[in-house]
Amino acid sequence: MTGEENVIDPQGEPAPTPAGPQLAVIPKSPGFWKEAWRRFRIRKLSMTAFVFVVLLALVAIFSPAIAGTKPIVVKYKGRLYFPAMAYFNASWENPIFTQDKFRKRYPKNLEEKDPESWAIWPLSFNDPYRRVQEEEWPGRPGNPTQVDGKPSSLNWFGTDQRGVDVFAQMVHGSRIALLVGFVSMGIASAIGIIVGALAGYFGGWVDTLLSRVIEVVLCIPTLVLILALLAIIEQVTIWHMMAIIGATRWTSIARLTRAEFLKLKQMDFVSAARATGVGPIRIMFRYLLPNALAPVLVPITFGIASAILIESSLSFLGFGAPPPNPSWGTLLSAGRSNYQLWWLIVFPGTAIFLAVLAYNLIGEGLQEATDPRLRDADG
Amino acid sequence: MMKLTRWLPTITLWQVVGICLLPLILGCPPPADDENGLEGTETGSATSASSEAAAEEEPDVLLEPFDPPPLDELEASVEWEDQPVLDAMELYRKYKAEHPPLATVEEALALKNDSPEANEKILTTLGQPPASESEVDYDAALRRFTPLDIKSSNPILGSSVTEFEVNDLTSFGLFAFDWNFYPFATAEHVKSWQSSKDRLFDKVVLRDDLVWSDGKPITAHDVEFTFQTIMNPKVPVVAVRSGVDELKWVKAYDDHTVVFFHKESLATNVWNMLFPIIPRHAYADSMKEDPSLSKSDYHLKLEQAPVCGGPYKISSRVRNQEIVLTRREDYFMKDGVEVRRKPYFKEIRFRVIEDLNTALLALEKGEIDDLELNPEQWDTQTKDDEFYAHNTKAYGVGWGHAYIGWNLNVPFFSDKRVRQAMSYALDHEEMIENICYGVYEYGRGVYHPTAWMAPNPMPEPYHQSLDKAEELLDAAGWTDSDGDGIRDKEIDGKLVPFEFTITIANASQTGIKICELLKSNLDQIGVICNIKPTEFTVLQEQARNHKFQAQCAGWGTGADPASGKNLWTTKAIEQNGRNYVSYSNPRVDELFELGEREFDRDKRAKIYGEIATILWDDQPYTWLYFRSNFFAWNKDVRGYMFSPRGPYGYSPGLSALWKPK
Repeated sequence: MTGEENVIDPQGEPAPTPAGPQLAVIPKSPGFWKEAWRRFRIRKLSMTAFVFVVLLALVAIFSPAIAGTKPIVVKYKGRLYFPAMAYFNASWENPIFTQDKFRKRYPKNLEEKDPESWAIWPLSFNDPYRRVQEEEWPGRPGNPTQVDGKPSSLNWFGTDQRGVDVFAQMVHGSRIALLVGFVSMGIASAIGIIVGALAGYFGGWVDTLLSRVIEVVLCIPTLVLILALLAIIEQVTIWHMMAIIGATRWTSIARLTRAEFLKLKQMDFVSAARATGVGPIRIMFRYLLPNALAPVLVPITFGIASAILIESSLSFLGFGAPPPNPSWGTLLSAGRSNYQLWWLIVFPGTAIFLAVLAYNLIGEGLQEATDPRLRDADG
Repeated sequence: MMKLTRWLPTITLWQVVGICLLPLILGCPPPADDENGLEGTETGSATSASSEAAAEEEPDVLLEPFDPPPLDELEASVEWEDQPVLDAMELYRKYKAEHPPLATVEEALALKNDSPEANEKILTTLGQPPASESEVDYDAALRRFTPLDIKSSNPILGSSVTEFEVNDLTSFGLFAFDWNFYPFATAEHVKSWQSSKDRLFDKVVLRDDLVWSDGKPITAHDVEFTFQTIMNPKVPVVAVRSGVDELKWVKAYDDHTVVFFHKESLATNVWNMLFPIIPRHAYADSMKEDPSLSKSDYHLKLEQAPVCGGPYKISSRVRNQEIVLTRREDYFMKDGVEVRRKPYFKEIRFRVIEDLNTALLALEKGEIDDLELNPEQWDTQTKDDEFYAHNTKAYGVGWGHAYIGWNLNVPFFSDKRVRQAMSYALDHEEMIENICYGVYEYGRGVYHPTAWMAPNPMPEPYHQSLDKAEELLDAAGWTDSDGDGIRDKEIDGKLVPFEFTITIANASQTGIKICELLKSNLDQIGVICNIKPTEFTVLQEQARNHKFQAQCAGWGTGADPASGKNLWTTKAIEQNGRNYVSYSNPRVDELFELGEREFDRDKRAKIYGEIATILWDDQPYTWLYFRSNFFAWNKDVRGYMFSPRGPYGYSPGLSALWKPK
């Protein structure tokens, strides 16, 4: 527990040492998080998983630059545009590319309408929403459809029945997978930590009440709730799903926070803080929470993994984000109707498997890096 | 989840006009879903959902009291015309004799169905009826599959595809129609049928050698009783009531003579008489205590083993597993003499298999004898030797069609030019060739080119032209006036962007793909189209209340074009009609009235042709494609032929199937 004082001290500053310069300077012992990171780093599997998730995040962020039919940068009629941003938000595509029969088809129109223009293209000229037609890119054949859509040099992961490139869909789908994981777990942690903190710190009837609430929410099956809400909401978006997943998945976080708070609030430093007149909110979030965070991070990481699975299964069942929805689950479901199209199952299936596995490995690594018993055992 | 094609099989189809229009879902049939119909097997729920529409909000009394005149009085005042009383099997034999096989059976069985010629050879050869009785294996069983179990075995309570298929084999009816949708009285059950000149009365004389499966004779009183029961508001009749409710009265004058009284003098009156008959002696007393016909112990027992009047009876029913029908000896034998044709199968089994991939595997293993294929299965999964080891397959023209309906109440689509622009925007070629595997025909309006009521000249299908679409939108006032890349128009002082939502059954994979295609096409011309996959029942509800902007769905084909009045007349916007898009055109209303009152088929064809032409010009729908029918059969099965509603939706249909020794 060497590093804990640093964390506990709300000021973060070591108390000024009364001792004089005659004492040798003791090197500052590493902080709790630094220590945890050091221990996490030596776990090869967890580190690999971590690197994988970082890579995945990069793919998600730069997805329009990796696969798309819209140039990343284009100089057209004397001005610079970034049409690929339309993959993030359709309204970010400059209207100039709709007007005058340009119709959002870049390669040929750019040349015809402005021979001076130049453009930087994504790595793979393929759209996640539609099939690339013949001659859309000079000399490039149209995407094959149905059983002809095997992986090839133009369609690295093949195409689905409609002829839409699988690689492009997976790259853009990674955005959905990551967003769902982070946003829904962000919501869940916010709710879970607050509820758990209140219950654990105040105890008594607050605890009783909140614990019952947790138990009630625990009983709600997320999938069923989502299906019910989908029927009610007019225009379902991926954000609704994240909100619902977040609003139902916070219970384990709340329980762990509560347990940690119950334990920590008995500690001397809390009594000391209370004695000096620190308010309950400050004690909860400034004194207790940082100490309770380590065990809470673990269910959050696992939660991200399960949120990705939920989104995939919803898309698989056809209840995901509204189409066109290039989600990994949607691809899997397209592969289900015809097993000859193995690439519709292998690639997205592997992606889901790896992403979920990675989060689970990170969670496990975190757990072992922060759990003092395990840590001391192998230390 | 429901399927269009097979919902009315054999001998007696009572489906009348109303239910003939089965909304189909478009899509492929994955496990439980299946497009609603556009491709493969639709399961029953859509059907039942659709028919519920007709049942909702029934008044307390369905029948106006009527005192039928005595028979002598009627005879004195009415001039009767003889109407056809035919044996469907004989018709079929005659037709097949005129269309001889193009190959030998061995050749046909060895063929792979990869060309129209091969298809023709397979159908003409394997579709032949047995040359003589000695060829038939009368001990054979026909092993079928169903994606959904039946809810009721009572024929008047039926509403799903499978229920109609089972009921057609087990129940008794007076009328049927052939593959050209010509109605007739079935000679196996009826001695004579006469209509009055003005079509207000129909007199039917039943044969006297008919018995129920419990040995009691089938009489005209059963017909009258069934009519009264169907029209009893307390009895939960869902689908069968539509059509029957157009009758004024049914009266049995003696054990064999029954007269149908019609409300108006219409060419379509005959279709209202196609309902299944239930035994009076089995239900008359118990109905008073339990009008649901399905809750009391007695009725539950009847559900399990109903009293049947048709060629087969239900011998065992295991929920969600299997329904077994066995041939009734007393149906075709009387006092040791064969009075009717002996049904070809000893047993017909319906196995419940929810997943279509599993069903295909069962077919390949030879565990089931027939299967409707969806385009994906047809095109990619049934080409290998594994499939052809036990099976063969064939297709036939279908009149059912898929469409995107534009709600005319919505400001975007009230203008004809906008609707035409939508049709021009869609890349029809991409849709047919890629999304539909190149196996469907381009949509050309409400009637298929081979239909007798098809317009002349037949309209040419739309082809994508974004230039024309843009011109039409500009002309209609939808321009990008604020320069944000999205078309807009000032309506009531407010600038409305052209952004609409298209709803589609979530089970319909094909439909969703088509909507995605349309979305990307419209995106190019500055129109935003959102897609909302919706539970089928919700979709129906929204359609009935006209609460949608655009909707992608499909229709089966009614036996008579007059059924279209339920879709296109102003009256059908309200009143349980299915004019979901609120289309209203006085000329179309008038033509539908005319069509019903004209008895001559050629003249009627002209009238309905004009309707089709007007609708095509107005484009209240963007017609997507005609849905052809695809079926696979075990090589042991013979005697199939396609009608525009599939191989079983007519007479003889399913009852013409046989297996050789």
